[in-house]
Amino acid sequence: METFEEFVKRILTILFWLIIVLPIIIFPILFLVVGLLGIDVIIVNEILTAAIDPLKAIKLAERYGLGFSSTFFKIAVFPGFTFAALIATFTILYERKLLAKVQLRVGPLYAGRFEGILQPIADLFKLLGKELVVPEKADKMFFWAAPILSIGLAASLLSVIPLSPTIYIARSEFSLLIPFAILGFSPLVVLIAAWASSNKFAFIGGLRALHQLAAYEIPMLLSILGIVILTGSFDLMKIVEAQKDIWFIFPQFLAAIIFYITILSELERIPFDLPEAETEIVSGWLTEYTGMHFGLLQLGVYMKFYALALLFTLLFLGGWNGPAFLPPIVWLLGKLFFVITIIIFPRAVLPRLRMDQLIRIGWAWLIALSFINIFIAVIESSLGII
Amino acid sequence: MSAKFATENQLAKSLKDQFKNKIKEEYVESNRIKISTSPENLKNLAIAVKELGFEQVMSQGGTDYPENNVYRIEYHIICVSKKKLRSIIFSIMTEIPKDKPEIETLIDVFPSAEFHEQETFENFGITFIGHPRMERLLLPEDWNDIPPLRKDYILPGRG
Amino acid sequence: MQNAGMNIEDKGGDKLVLHVGPQHPGSGHFRLIITVDGDYIVGAKPDPGYVHRGAEKMAEYRDYIQNIPHLERPVIIDATGVTLPYVLAAEKIIDVEAPERAQYIRMIMAELNRVISHLYWLGIYGIFLGHSTMFMWPMGDRELFIDLAESIGGTRVTFSYVVPGGVRNDMPTHFKERALKTFDYFEKRIEEYKKIFFNNPIMTARTESIGIMSQADAIKLGITGSNLRAAGIDSDTRKDEPYCLYDRVDFEIPTRKEGDSYARCIVRLEELQQSMNIIKQVLDLIEPGPIKQVIGGVMRGEPGEAFVRTEAARGTMFYHIVSNGEKYPYRVKISVPSFRNLIGMTHLLVGSKLADMPAIYWSLDYWPVEADR
Repeated sequence: METFEEFVKRILTILFWLIIVLPIIIFPILFLVVGLLGIDVIIVNEILTAAIDPLKAIKLAERYGLGFSSTFFKIAVFPGFTFAALIATFTILYERKLLAKVQLRVGPLYAGRFEGILQPIADLFKLLGKELVVPEKADKMFFWAAPILSIGLAASLLSVIPLSPTIYIARSEFSLLIPFAILGFSPLVVLIAAWASSNKFAFIGGLRALHQLAAYEIPMLLSILGIVILTGSFDLMKIVEAQKDIWFIFPQFLAAIIFYITILSELERIPFDLPEAETEIVSGWLTEYTGMHFGLLQLGVYMKFYALALLFTLLFLGGWNGPAFLPPIVWLLGKLFFVITIIIFPRAVLPRLRMDQLIRIGWAWLIALSFINIFIAVIESSLGII
Repeated sequence: MSAKFATENQLAKSLKDQFKNKIKEEYVESNRIKISTSPENLKNLAIAVKELGFEQVMSQGGTDYPENNVYRIEYHIICVSKKKLRSIIFSIMTEIPKDKPEIETLIDVFPSAEFHEQETFENFGITFIGHPRMERLLLPEDWNDIPPLRKDYILPGRG
Repeated sequence: MQNAGMNIEDKGGDKLVLHVGPQHPGSGHFRLIITVDGDYIVGAKPDPGYVHRGAEKMAEYRDYIQNIPHLERPVIIDATGVTLPYVLAAEKIIDVEAPERAQYIRMIMAELNRVISHLYWLGIYGIFLGHSTMFMWPMGDRELFIDLAESIGGTRVTFSYVVPGGVRNDMPTHFKERALKTFDYFEKRIEEYKKIFFNNPIMTARTESIGIMSQADAIKLGITGSNLRAAGIDSDTRKDEPYCLYDRVDFEIPTRKEGDSYARCIVRLEELQQSMNIIKQVLDLIEPGPIKQVIGGVMRGEPGEAFVRTEAARGTMFYHIVSNGEKYPYRVKISVPSFRNLIGMTHLLVGSKLADMPAIYWSLDYWPVEADR
């Protein structure tokens, strides 16, 4: 164990050597390279100053096509990856606080002084500091691939989902279908993670996840068909615009229920958390993952959570529609918060289902109900309700 | 005295009629009957006790008596379903020589004796002939000393 | 893709051997070797002994007083339940009898401990079924009963409170008001427990007609305690062979006929209510008086033996003490309920689904430390 004094001493030693090394070795080499290769010194100067001056950094980014309105910024920061990751970490914190209140506890309390607001950051640093244990018998390549695939999949889900008429990454006429097409890959990621771990419990968890996701993907797709019939479009923008007068949750109530249940299953949340059922199969397909591997898988799951909650908001709760005194994005985020709450809440009040019960609900009930829902949509559409 | 423990005396008497001098009544007290017999007769006695209405082995244990060179084995048998017999603990007891620690198992009479007999096996080294799993249960796999509940096993540091 | 880490059994080739425990969130200090064929369990072999300390041997090296804290260790969660039969047996050997008030206080402690133990069980059962709220609530409410027991016994869990000849110290003066206040609160909580857990449709779907222990099997296998009562047999040592002064209080023995996991749950819930009922009656009956018969010098038993059984939280706790007149007991045989219920686990698990394993396993209230001694 390192005492605090030793820690400070080590940091100071590193700083000391850095201060010596920088002027003696790095700067001479830098100037030598710049002079010999004939690179414009102004650019080097700008890059170096941008490193310590955020305002200059923004200007520099804009000049090279990386500014606020660039595609890169949209994908990487807002409304893309960073924004989604922030919402995901907020969701983790919110879930812990909400569960704690239901269970008469306090939950995270100390990090960040106010109600543990910085707990996700503390967790992040904890995970970063942990050793990455890769089992000896594991298939190393796929073992490493699974966390990256998981987070990549979750991020790509967001590519065509708009946040408001002006805030989106990419527009597509099929922006409703693309997320579902990408979601279809998620059993594959789980299976890769489970099989590569070479662990019995992970293997069972992976098989369970496969069964479960296969059983729930179909009713999920069928449940949105009603909305497609009513609007005649696969474009999320048009679907949201169609909800100016009435949110689809009212004419398509059955579809909303089915979609909500399949979201719970898709996200492997209680009562459908069989692939991770802790007391039966340790942690299911996550058993062998530690440290930041686990962190990335977890972040991927919660980004998927955000994407699905966003889809629910857009499809059934009227998206960004709302009185004009608030900007559309605020309405959207408000509704999103509500949807996240109702997705989290079953965890506080329900136990876990069993595999056969879950499969029976998926294949027997939800699919039948979603066909009934399509009929309802056809009737509503022919009566001209929407 | 005899009127006081009517049920207990009656039970003991019915066994004595059946087995004559093969069994010995150690004592009959309030709710407690203890009968001893020879190792060969133990199984017949257990069957007779079961016919009296006693259903399960609550406890089975051994005791080491180095001065007599015997292990004493006791089965404490109870009844749970019949109101009249519930309060009684029926003990049957036998003594087996230390140089030949073997006895027939009672597992086919009372299946509930299974783990108890396994425990006595590992703690005293008494083999129960006919028991399907005469193997270690509680002791660690690498225990290579004499069975620990024998009196000649001295706890380390307590000698 | 290599899968050398997966030990698929050679015979048949399609069966998977799972070691549930001792490093598993759903096992405790205990290993269960399960063979699964698809989702069905085809073989289950319990492997206890991970926390075996040889309590019986060690008891031969301690005198009658030193043995109390020693024998309490296996079941610290039900500390009075495990020491009370020992003390009763020791009293028979030493030939002392506790005064009436001490007997009543022992009953209060025994019942409080039963509540504490059952609430712990309920919390773990909740998390075994994936219901995290049902884990937190009973664990929180259990603290109230621990506080009550602490006000009598002085420590939170390991009381070492019952001693041969009586109890260590008297009850605090305001215990009655405090206890009644706690019970009032807890009776309301039981209704909330029922709403969120016992009447929860998913919970009943998970536990009803799962792990059915028939009456005949329960008798044959030597099942004891709440598990036996859930199979329809109203056997309870407190009624069958009353010890302390249990014949003076009036209480019911909750039973169910179904013998499934749900029956075992609901029997324990009703036992919580009965325990509070007993304590209330005892608090009305109890009168001031001596709490201890003082024994001078070192306790020495008469040569002889004593068998005592009592109803602990998990079932009938049995002690067989042999004395040869020395300071130390010659032999202490403990027959614990968990050890006897273990045989039922194999019986119930074979043929059920893997997902039902936690629902069956913990419904038996198996406490590995108690079984291993």
